[in-house]
Amino acid sequence: MSALLSLFLKLSAFSALAFGGINALLPALYDLSVNQEHWLDTRTFADFFAIAQAAPGPNLMTVTLIGWHVSGVIGAIVASIAICWPSSIMVFFLQRYISNLRNPVTKQTIQFAASALAVGLVLGSAWDISQQINHSVAAFALTLIAIAVILLTRWHPLYLIVIGGILGVLGFI
Amino acid sequence: MNTPSPKQLFIGFSKIGISGFGGVLPWARRSIVEQERWISSEEFNALLGICQIVPGPNIVNLAVCVGSRFAGIRGAFASVLGLMLGPSVVVILLGMLYEHYSYLPAVQGMLRGISAVGVGLIAGTGFKMMRNEYSFPPMLLVVAITVIAAGVFHLNLGWVVLIASPLAIFLAWKKAKQA
Repeated sequence: MSALLSLFLKLSAFSALAFGGINALLPALYDLSVNQEHWLDTRTFADFFAIAQAAPGPNLMTVTLIGWHVSGVIGAIVASIAICWPSSIMVFFLQRYISNLRNPVTKQTIQFAASALAVGLVLGSAWDISQQINHSVAAFALTLIAIAVILLTRWHPLYLIVIGGILGVLGFI
Repeated sequence: MNTPSPKQLFIGFSKIGISGFGGVLPWARRSIVEQERWISSEEFNALLGICQIVPGPNIVNLAVCVGSRFAGIRGAFASVLGLMLGPSVVVILLGMLYEHYSYLPAVQGMLRGISAVGVGLIAGTGFKMMRNEYSFPPMLLVVAITVIAAGVFHLNLGWVVLIASPLAIFLAWKKAKQA
């Protein structure tokens, strides 16, 4: 019970600070679940991240898997609810507030500022998490290639994930 | 434009969740704007902007916004539940497979390859999002400060937001007045 309660409280607090979405927050999630709470080790964290990336669905499935690892299906449900509820309530009211704003400059100022912060957080997070989960030159090279393909082509991300998986099975990464 | 019921929202967001390989957002836009025609493209961007201001999973926030716009609190619940249910079942099944087979070198290698690609996908999305900032280059300073504070100095998120937001709000205000 105390494990579930701690899962719920820590992830709820985490969610309330998760500006820029879950991907921007991966390093903080890593710090919380591996270093502070010892819910799982570094390798399992990296593997859960990979599973959530390979599976369909929102990126927050990493959190669902962490909950499942801590206390089974109940843990998965508790973790998923904890990561959703604080922001859901905030956005429910904020949406009403912003759509009622009359001044377009105020409205745009809020949106422009938030979007610049979100970009920085996503890129900073990618930088940080790549140091945690890539342990070879080949892995960093694969990350760089994935970035290039995403920016320069219209490939579906699923192809990249399949290629990454195959290279890994063959022992290159 | 069509007005969906909670049941239709549940079904619509279930499809979005389960088809969202490598990020749900592109699928959400395609489904909500192009296929179901619940909201217009402009309204989608505005809603997404609001969802990105608020902390928490953006895509869940989007489900709350779209759901509550059409069917109040029931609509919000129906949308979020639809979005989460299918993918949760899939990842838990994959997690069970993982517990049994994670000792195999091939499985370990596969997951290393996928996570290296996964980081690249996040960074690539970040660079794509950054294109919106080129129209007002001073804003790139905010991006740089945030990246350095969060990625290089590993500052706590609250501090990062606190340090970067005064400049972000000032520049955003200039950009908004210019537009």
